Amino acid sequence: MTLKVRDLTVRYGGLAAVSHVNLDIADGEILALVGESGCGKTSLARTLLGLLPSTSQVGGSAVLGEHELVGRTDWTGVRGTRVATVPQGAMTGLSPVHRVGAQLAEMLTLHGGTAQPADLLDRVGLQRTMLRSYPHELSGGQRQRVAIALALAGEPDLLVADEPTTGLDAITQRQVLALLAGLRTSMLIVSHDLTGLLPYADRVAIMYAGRLAEVRPARALSPASAHPYTAGLLSATPVADREVAWGSIPGSAPALGHVTPGCAFAARCPLAVDRCREETPPLVARGEAQVACHRHDEPDHPSYPNVPRVDSPSGSTVVSASGIRHTYRARSRVVDALRDVDLEIGAGEIVGLVGESGSGKSTLARILLGLIKPTAGRVTLEGRELTAGRALRRLRRRIGFVHQDPYDSLHPGMRVAALVAEPLAVAGVPRGERLGRVRESLTAAGLPDDSGFLARFPGQLSGGQRQRVSIARALAGSPALLIADEATSMLDVSTRAGIATTLRSLAVERGLAVLLVTHDLGEAVQSCDRILVLQAGRVVEHGPADDLARSPSHAYTTRLLQAST
Amino acid sequence: MMFLKAPRRNLLGAQGVIGVGVLVAIVAIAAYGVALPDEAGRERVAEPYAPPRAGLPLGSDDLGRDLLDQLIVGAGTSLGLAFIVAVCTTLLAAIIGGAAGIGPRWLSVSLMRGADVLLILPELILYILAAAFLGQSFGIRAAILALILWPVPARVLRAGVLTAWSRGHLEVSRAMGAPAWWLLARHGTYLIGPLLIPVFVRTAKVAIIYDATLSFLGLGDPTSPSWGTTLYWVQTNGVFLSDAWLWWALPPGAAITLTVLSLALIGVAVEERLNPALREAAR
Amino acid sequence: MTAVQAVRRGYPRYIAGRLAEYLSVLLVALTLNFALPRALPGGPLKLFGSPEALARLTADERAQIATQYGFGRPLPQQFLDYLTGVFTLDLGTSLSDGRPVTQALADALPWTLLLVGTSTAVTAVLGVTLGVAGALRRRRGKGSGLLGAAVVADSVPQFWLGMLLIVLFGVKLQLLPTYGVAGPEGVTVGGVLQHLVLPVTTLTVTGMGYLFLYTRSSLLTVLTSEPVQHAHARGVPYGRLVRRHALRPALLPVHTILMLEIGFLAAGAIVVETVFAYPGLGRLTFDAITARDYPLMQGAFLVLTVMVVLMNALADATYPLLDPRARTGDRR
Repeated sequence: MTLKVRDLTVRYGGLAAVSHVNLDIADGEILALVGESGCGKTSLARTLLGLLPSTSQVGGSAVLGEHELVGRTDWTGVRGTRVATVPQGAMTGLSPVHRVGAQLAEMLTLHGGTAQPADLLDRVGLQRTMLRSYPHELSGGQRQRVAIALALAGEPDLLVADEPTTGLDAITQRQVLALLAGLRTSMLIVSHDLTGLLPYADRVAIMYAGRLAEVRPARALSPASAHPYTAGLLSATPVADREVAWGSIPGSAPALGHVTPGCAFAARCPLAVDRCREETPPLVARGEAQVACHRHDEPDHPSYPNVPRVDSPSGSTVVSASGIRHTYRARSRVVDALRDVDLEIGAGEIVGLVGESGSGKSTLARILLGLIKPTAGRVTLEGRELTAGRALRRLRRRIGFVHQDPYDSLHPGMRVAALVAEPLAVAGVPRGERLGRVRESLTAAGLPDDSGFLARFPGQLSGGQRQRVSIARALAGSPALLIADEATSMLDVSTRAGIATTLRSLAVERGLAVLLVTHDLGEAVQSCDRILVLQAGRVVEHGPADDLARSPSHAYTTRLLQAST
Repeated sequence: MMFLKAPRRNLLGAQGVIGVGVLVAIVAIAAYGVALPDEAGRERVAEPYAPPRAGLPLGSDDLGRDLLDQLIVGAGTSLGLAFIVAVCTTLLAAIIGGAAGIGPRWLSVSLMRGADVLLILPELILYILAAAFLGQSFGIRAAILALILWPVPARVLRAGVLTAWSRGHLEVSRAMGAPAWWLLARHGTYLIGPLLIPVFVRTAKVAIIYDATLSFLGLGDPTSPSWGTTLYWVQTNGVFLSDAWLWWALPPGAAITLTVLSLALIGVAVEERLNPALREAAR
Repeated sequence: MTAVQAVRRGYPRYIAGRLAEYLSVLLVALTLNFALPRALPGGPLKLFGSPEALARLTADERAQIATQYGFGRPLPQQFLDYLTGVFTLDLGTSLSDGRPVTQALADALPWTLLLVGTSTAVTAVLGVTLGVAGALRRRRGKGSGLLGAAVVADSVPQFWLGMLLIVLFGVKLQLLPTYGVAGPEGVTVGGVLQHLVLPVTTLTVTGMGYLFLYTRSSLLTVLTSEPVQHAHARGVPYGRLVRRHALRPALLPVHTILMLEIGFLAAGAIVVETVFAYPGLGRLTFDAITARDYPLMQGAFLVLTVMVVLMNALADATYPLLDPRARTGDRR
């Protein structure tokens, strides 16, 4: 046994982020610790590395070999040597002023590693010539590999990888995970992406509100046998196949310190009975697995609301872009961000724009919004061309925009009422009419419209609620076109399908044309009627979502499909 | 918990409050100085080199002028200039930094190149040179200072504008067709406003020191008493070789130091609250 | 592209870019120097004597001077003549003692170089060291005495501090010389050093505050940055973390501040040399201002400015040695 965690509790100012967790990792085993933001998974990982802030109190024990990790003050000879980390956001975590070789050599000297720096690069699949490179000369995936090589230098017994693939493209994510799995070191991988990790993990531990909900061998994990929360997480990951439903768990995870009696998941669980709300279920062994659920032995399966499948006939063309080309100058190079892109969206239609970072999808969205003027080509909205100045501003009011980042796109000093009313104020709608339309938009976006909610600040809302406020704001001006730029990418997995459901009902009920920009082909297949796949500024494939998922015609689409299943 | 509180900004800590307190006191003294008759500190009221005595708490200078009156009147000159220069420079820097941040590329490049060039030229030397040739009246001095001091704040504000321009709520507002004045009033003030405080404070501070230095070199406005001019006469008369330095040299220098210090305290307090790294370390 | 190639390719380009910038700075300095006297209220004639002397001139005499010095000619021609003068080291004649301005400047320059050079070195070393110490103390939650001292030092006017030092060390304690560069025994190495102590202290104390504040803030920022946090997570001990991982990135922006500092110290030299009657360019400037000796004033300003620009250029050329990103042109 490499690691034994017993009754581990982490508190911040008296509020428990991790409560009474028991967990083992066997020699050479890869354990995936999965949960949504705020569930305590990162606190647990940081406990093992002694990296918790000084304001935290830790109880219980975590034994690695002969070393007790809880309460340790001297980490020399342990951190980096016995337990090493591939930290969160490792792409920006390398020293910018030292060469890769020097950074590897430092780790080897510090932790008494016997390997050569070049051997470490071999192990992570990088060329030896990169020893002389500086981090800013490497790609994101390469930097991540260097970070892994640095972690391996001390030949640790346990590797703790905290969201090791955040910020990487889907295809690179796979490669990095495969590399980690191939190392055969005991490993704790912390992530929010359950299905992404399943192929690489030996066992999976699911965490919710600071407690373990379930621990199960990865191969034995299926929606039928799992904890209701796990089943919800599985159904909440969009699969690029329209036969598989995409569901969401209603509500949102409780905030830190929001203590209720009974099972923390009861409020969102479709199977919850009175007992669940009164008595906290213990984590008990069920065959190879351990599950914390009162209703586990009963035959009911949880069912979650799914994104509806509607074949909505598309109406007249709302927006049309033709021959869009955009180039910009970066230092002395000229970069083609978009090359001859055509796009049309009809009323009531949802069109997906899919591509990896740098594919030009955000640029195209901003061109349609009139925020960027394309180098060539024209955009028309309801037959009128997007030009400049006052005419453009007037036309823009027919477009709703849902920004990627729900934490940045709402002015922190404005109340919900003022936020949603902003397009109305900008368009000069008389004050008296605003409140009614604000209420109507909030309802359409699936939010309460009582005056208590109207008076809230963004800081008092959850991520999902913020994004719905963003949608309500986009709707307030009665737009003809809604552009959602990665609108779900920063939300918890369990709430994403809910947003997609809302978009669908808006398209059907209001005849709204929707452009959904996303990096996740699965999400696009699940929620769109048609899809455009963008690679390096060019549309490489275009077709109905169903056909595209079933029989992709372009090799790049095939690769994206493989990466998202 | 973060979910229960509306955003609140406490920009001043204990240091900042002390700074504001001292500054308010000095402003009050300056206001009193403005109310004094015009000839205060300018006319002979006693014999030259008079030591302190009743009715003449700080003695008199080589021309028999009341040193306390000079000190009080000097506060008005110093603060008035600092305030006007800080307002002008901040405005100028906001316009130039803003234009460089959101204007077309050629404008941005040429403005920032210009700022870089001016940055390398030493500010104080330029100020002395310009004042020596162009004249030393209050207006000219204020104008020269504003024209010299804008590059550093313009760089800071350009960076701030660039960051603000990429912020989500501003972009969404632009996308909904909001006119420029709306962006500025609703979103710009919130995003850029806090940056203007350190810029304003720093400029006021620099203006006070530079202007005192100019007067000390004998390039001050000879018709109006100021702290720097008093010290110019200290220097030319070699006052610090006698005991007169206690009442003649000490007070104006201390006044400059205290004024600048109060501004610096406000500046440090605001910056510590705006820089997340400093805030983090404060816990 | 490997790092070596990048350096080979990037460094000359970096230098060329910076060189162009410094040349334009010099051009601006020369233009200001040329233009300001001509914008003088009362006309450029004022360059040739005190107001009283000028008032005595007859109209014919004025016309004669104007012709002789070319004030009547078109401005571009005058500018060209001025540039020629600068590059042939002919800056005119001092009005107060009739010496060539170039001669007066050449006599004063070495003393100023000594003063500003020493002060820059001491300021840089002390300011950065104390700034680092201040940041590390702050990290450990210790008091902010250093911070308070730095803020005060940053607020004191140089001339006043100089006077206080004279009163304390010269008049009361009689420990150090306060006047000139040499005692009655003539110029000796020991004497020069002794005379250097108070001026350098004045410049250093007032110049250090800002450098201290900046270094401290920069290091605190870098200590919470991702690369350093990650190095900590990889088990790099604290001392090494500070020395090897945090210090260099933290000092990169300080390097830029140091260049501003050079300008500050050179300007400070005018003040400090005046207070301590130090026979450098600063004292020369003050004397020129007092005597309204405009040609000398103009020359002294020009030399001071050029000195600052050259010291900046020198400091700037070393920047890519610190930051590999600058070598490939990724800075900014």
